[in-house]
Amino acid sequence: MTTIALSPPRRAWLIVAGQELRDLWLGGRGLALTLAFSLLLSVMTYLTATNSVLNFLEQRESVNLTLQVAVAVGALLVLLGAADALSGERERGTLESLLLAPVHRLELVVGKGIAALSLWLVAFAVSIPYIWFLGRGVGLVGTALGAGFLVGSLLALFLAGLGLLLSSVAGSNRVSLSVALFLLFAFFAPTQLPSGAQQGWAGDLFIRIDPFSSGLHWLGKVVVDAHSFSQDASWLASPVVAAGLALLGALGAARFLALRGGGQ
Amino acid sequence: MTRHAIEAAGLSKAFGELRAVDGLDLVVPAGVVLGFLGPNGAGKTTAIRMLTTILRPDTGSFSVAGIAHTRPIEIRQRVGVLPESAGYPERQTGEEFLRFHARLFGRSAAGAKEVASMLLAETGLAERAHSLIGSYSRGMRQRLGIARALVNEPTVVFLDEPTLGLDPGGQRQVLELVRSMAEARGATVVLSTHLLTEVEEVCGRVVILNRGRIVADGTVQEIVRRAGAPRHARIEVAPEHAAAALQALRQTRGIEIASTNGKPGELDVSLAAGDAEAAASAGLRALLDADVPVHAFVLEGGRLSDAFLAMTERA
Repeated sequence: MTTIALSPPRRAWLIVAGQELRDLWLGGRGLALTLAFSLLLSVMTYLTATNSVLNFLEQRESVNLTLQVAVAVGALLVLLGAADALSGERERGTLESLLLAPVHRLELVVGKGIAALSLWLVAFAVSIPYIWFLGRGVGLVGTALGAGFLVGSLLALFLAGLGLLLSSVAGSNRVSLSVALFLLFAFFAPTQLPSGAQQGWAGDLFIRIDPFSSGLHWLGKVVVDAHSFSQDASWLASPVVAAGLALLGALGAARFLALRGGGQ
Repeated sequence: MTRHAIEAAGLSKAFGELRAVDGLDLVVPAGVVLGFLGPNGAGKTTAIRMLTTILRPDTGSFSVAGIAHTRPIEIRQRVGVLPESAGYPERQTGEEFLRFHARLFGRSAAGAKEVASMLLAETGLAERAHSLIGSYSRGMRQRLGIARALVNEPTVVFLDEPTLGLDPGGQRQVLELVRSMAEARGATVVLSTHLLTEVEEVCGRVVILNRGRIVADGTVQEIVRRAGAPRHARIEVAPEHAAAALQALRQTRGIEIASTNGKPGELDVSLAAGDAEAAASAGLRALLDADVPVHAFVLEGGRLSDAFLAMTERA
């Protein structure tokens, strides 16, 4: 072998992302999660299309319900992937080898974030035929998919940032995943409030500040009420801000990424 | 090439109340195989992690391969490390693992493939190159870890407990690998291990750490001499000459205790710590002068392990 003077790679994040994507998708974990996701969507679609209790829904509402589940669960997959990204390496004892590479820690985090986000992209792709099936014939499919992709991508970015941030500082995978899931359910909680509690200025504020409730609310306005994308754009402020803050937090925490949790 | 592979001054690191490394001063010339020894918890791994830029020192400064600690990415580009208890991705193959790390060190895709194949062959893993790491034995994983440490042709290699958990055959294989690696590549090797006999064979220089501080630094011979570890001799003479032998030995300068050990004709002798070899020679001469035929004269102690125990227990 010829001896050559090596210098650090220019786009290490691409190398990390490539390896992470291979591990995720060829290793089978991504496929298993996607299979579970598509089974869930199949059941949802079947019920909304055929069940006598659920199929009273107007076609737009059926699309909205299925799209909201696709967006929420697709984003959940991203959180699961991101929360495992660094604390999982730490727990398996493989983080030190990565930290020994001559690359900025930021690039390691970005590469892993890209792999986690691929879960959302694949989940969205899987949901397309279901949305087409439920929304065909009323000129709704394109709008619904566009709005779903926009909201889902914002929420996926938010949860990718949150998951990576937690994963950077958590001492173990168990801590990272359990805190991430707890926060996820806390974000989902406002969407489950009775409609009476969602009215008035307090209810409105409550929904607006929660990125999940706010984003899904906007999705409903576009899909069910046939509003334009810009008509209720203020409802997207929360997902946009949350995504920005979470990503900044994750990238900031990357600088302090350490062998043990808590920056040690 | 830099004259010193490693220079560290006043390196300290504490975890809460525990001072893991306390004012480490170290200079390692290039091309040396350094035995980095110490009991468990002495601070070896923390010191290695600081020198490889994984941990930030609380105080002090260092350079590795001539590069100051303020340029960690450049240091990492030039060092190879086998971390203590390193984990491996079970679902990657050995070849995939090495290729990925070679890419992270700046090799092209083709270069990474080439170096992976070469290192797998060098570490005896060529036949299992395409097997999942999950199916590797512990010894194979350690050899894979050493191969990973070499993907960037490092000028300084840190091996932290490379023989941990291996059976004697596996230990021998890994140490042979270390020896051949040092000889063939001319790299400076810092070898942290508890296998002191092998350190005596492989390492040109030894540093002993205890409670975060260096308690000995030098060649094996220098350390053994400096430690003043007790040395003994076991002497066999004909049983009828045992009394005369004892009398002659007890009058010899440098021999502190001479006694029978219960077996006919066998004597145990404690030698003066300062210059045990001279005392042993004097004892042998005294026996010959007393016309005592000596059947056996075995010098015991005075190995690195004795010095290690003497220095770490004393501190």
